[in-house]
Amino acid sequence: MKLELRNIDKSFGENKVLKNVSISAEGGKAFGLLGRNGAGKTTTIRILMDVFPADKGEVLLDEKPIDYDKVQFGYLPEERGLYPKKKIIDQLVYFAELKGVSHAKAVSAVDYWLDRLGMTEYRNKRLDTLSKGNQQKIQLIPAVAHDPQIVILDEPFSGLDPVNAMLLKDVVKEVIRKGKIVFLSSHQMNYIEEFCDSIAIINGGQVVLEGDLRDIKRNYPRNRLVVRSLQNEKIAREYKGRFEWGENGEIIIILDTLEDKKRVMSELTETYDIDEIKVYEPSLNDIFVEYAENQI
Amino acid sequence: MKQFCKILKFELKHYLTNKIFIGVTLILVAVIAVVMFFPRIWGIFKKEDSTPDVGKYLPVMLVVSDAKENSEAVKEAFAAVFTGYEVKVADTDVEDVKDQIKSGEAECAFVLNSLTSYTYYVNNLSMYDNNTAIADEVLKSIYRINAMVQGGFTPEEASAILTAPIEGRIENLGIDQMQNFLYTYIMILALYMVILLYGQMVATNVATEKSSRAMELLITSAKPTSMMFGKVIATCFAGLLQIVVVFGSSILFFNINDDYWGDNPIVNSIFGMPIGLFVYMLIFFILGYLIYSFMFGAVGSTASKLEDINTSVTLIAMMFVVSFLVVIVSMSSGNVDTVLTKVCSYIPFTSPIAMFTRIAMSTVSIYEICASIAILIVSVIGIGVLSAKIYRVGVLLYGNKPKLGSIIKAVLKA
Repeated sequence: MKLELRNIDKSFGENKVLKNVSISAEGGKAFGLLGRNGAGKTTTIRILMDVFPADKGEVLLDEKPIDYDKVQFGYLPEERGLYPKKKIIDQLVYFAELKGVSHAKAVSAVDYWLDRLGMTEYRNKRLDTLSKGNQQKIQLIPAVAHDPQIVILDEPFSGLDPVNAMLLKDVVKEVIRKGKIVFLSSHQMNYIEEFCDSIAIINGGQVVLEGDLRDIKRNYPRNRLVVRSLQNEKIAREYKGRFEWGENGEIIIILDTLEDKKRVMSELTETYDIDEIKVYEPSLNDIFVEYAENQI
Repeated sequence: MKQFCKILKFELKHYLTNKIFIGVTLILVAVIAVVMFFPRIWGIFKKEDSTPDVGKYLPVMLVVSDAKENSEAVKEAFAAVFTGYEVKVADTDVEDVKDQIKSGEAECAFVLNSLTSYTYYVNNLSMYDNNTAIADEVLKSIYRINAMVQGGFTPEEASAILTAPIEGRIENLGIDQMQNFLYTYIMILALYMVILLYGQMVATNVATEKSSRAMELLITSAKPTSMMFGKVIATCFAGLLQIVVVFGSSILFFNINDDYWGDNPIVNSIFGMPIGLFVYMLIFFILGYLIYSFMFGAVGSTASKLEDINTSVTLIAMMFVVSFLVVIVSMSSGNVDTVLTKVCSYIPFTSPIAMFTRIAMSTVSIYEICASIAILIVSVIGIGVLSAKIYRVGVLLYGNKPKLGSIIKAVLKA
């Protein structure tokens, strides 16, 4: 199963929100949709879900125009969106029913997910009586209870404590394992790195980077060496002006050319007491900052 | 369709489990119960203290006249008509009469100069005091009989001439406005209140979903047309249910207390409303409610915050108020077939009230009624579809209140 957005344009009035956006995601894999606030992520998601049509371009499933009557979407909106004053079981069953699930099946699916997320005791409570974190967990259920083929999770981890984040991670992994297409949008890059095989970075309504995350990292210029040593100060003096400090006190030496790598490595190991030396692999955070730093 | 039914069921459940909705309905029923049972309860209390009337105090009315024979005749005639008074002839002067009234010994006094001239003395002149009008009539007839007797008639002949009855019959070929006025008025007021009340409910309902962001999920789960129609029709059912409960309980209470109301003309006129008119009222309620609720729903979807609702719905409410006023004014003037009301009875936004009034208060051909209803039905569908489009665009607009122009543009594009 392959979902594709091809050459999507969208404007609101004079404001061009999306410009020629093309992305593709595959079943059984998670796709990370990244971008700064206002970059066009939510608009992309809404076009994908047919909330409004694109001005130009198409949405394809397995190379054919998507049939929204047949394909089921599950959506966890960033803003969240349930009725605060209604009973949890009632509204969750309602949302599953709206997606075409029969009443009995909806009840059993919702009960399964409440149990899976450890929320059964809140089944008959009103949503606004729950803590924020627990509301967050409840919010995941409408996105998965009707067993959709495509699951879109917008900032699913925000506001969760580490234990709940772990629980949610397991759920997301389970959904991916079931062969669903999972769209993950988040500003917490560590989660994207953990789940997503491929990503797209949107900046100013344009896709500025798209592809397999490992390839992206591999193709990133390998002209930096990470050095960990007890003699950091000495190394710093020697490489003055040609290095920067890493987050954990390591030294990141910037090579003039890739050919220098071997020479610098052996120089360092011979001269200093080196604990570790390796080519610097950029984190997704680095990549994101580089591509999204300057708003287009 | 399945989705629409789910939404309808969910929204209806929302009303039927809503404490305020249930509370308002029960309070209305309770108020009606109190009103309808009032004569029965009053009757019980009255019976309890129904002590014999003997020796019961009646206020005193004095009759003073220079001519002795006049004062006796007047006293007799007055005693016959002023049953609420003890009529006494007083042989005193005016000052004494005034003192008696001031001290409370007498309630009022007629001091006659002749049969055609008198002074009425009373301590406090009540707004509803019609004693002088009654006295005028009595004195006039005594004077005339006296005059005719002097002219040679016997008193019986004179009396017969003066009281000769006129036989007149009214054959109304159309509608009796007098009889219909009251319940038409009540019905229009009910239509007006119900449509505005439930319309506002729809607007608030939509805006609440938007501000709680439940909309984010709804809009991706259901079609806007299903959402809009489901919501509006569920509210319509809730409204109908409330009407049935309120009207049903009043009819029930009326029947229980039928004997106690006796021939009270107001109550009998209300409950004697022809069933056909009630059916028309239901039709116009449903269609009028639908057309306004769709508009209210669409407007509710463009409000970002619940507080914005009031300003947003004002325009629609104003439109409705104007049609209400046009009808009320024409009703009070007695002519509901003016050009203005005729035109209004075909414009879908005003026809629910205007056409209903014309049907109730005048004679309207069935073709005219059908045309008006047909225009209304087509407009309801058109406005419904249009409002679903506005809804689809409106619910996703957050932040500043969108301008009308930008909404229209977005709707045309959608």
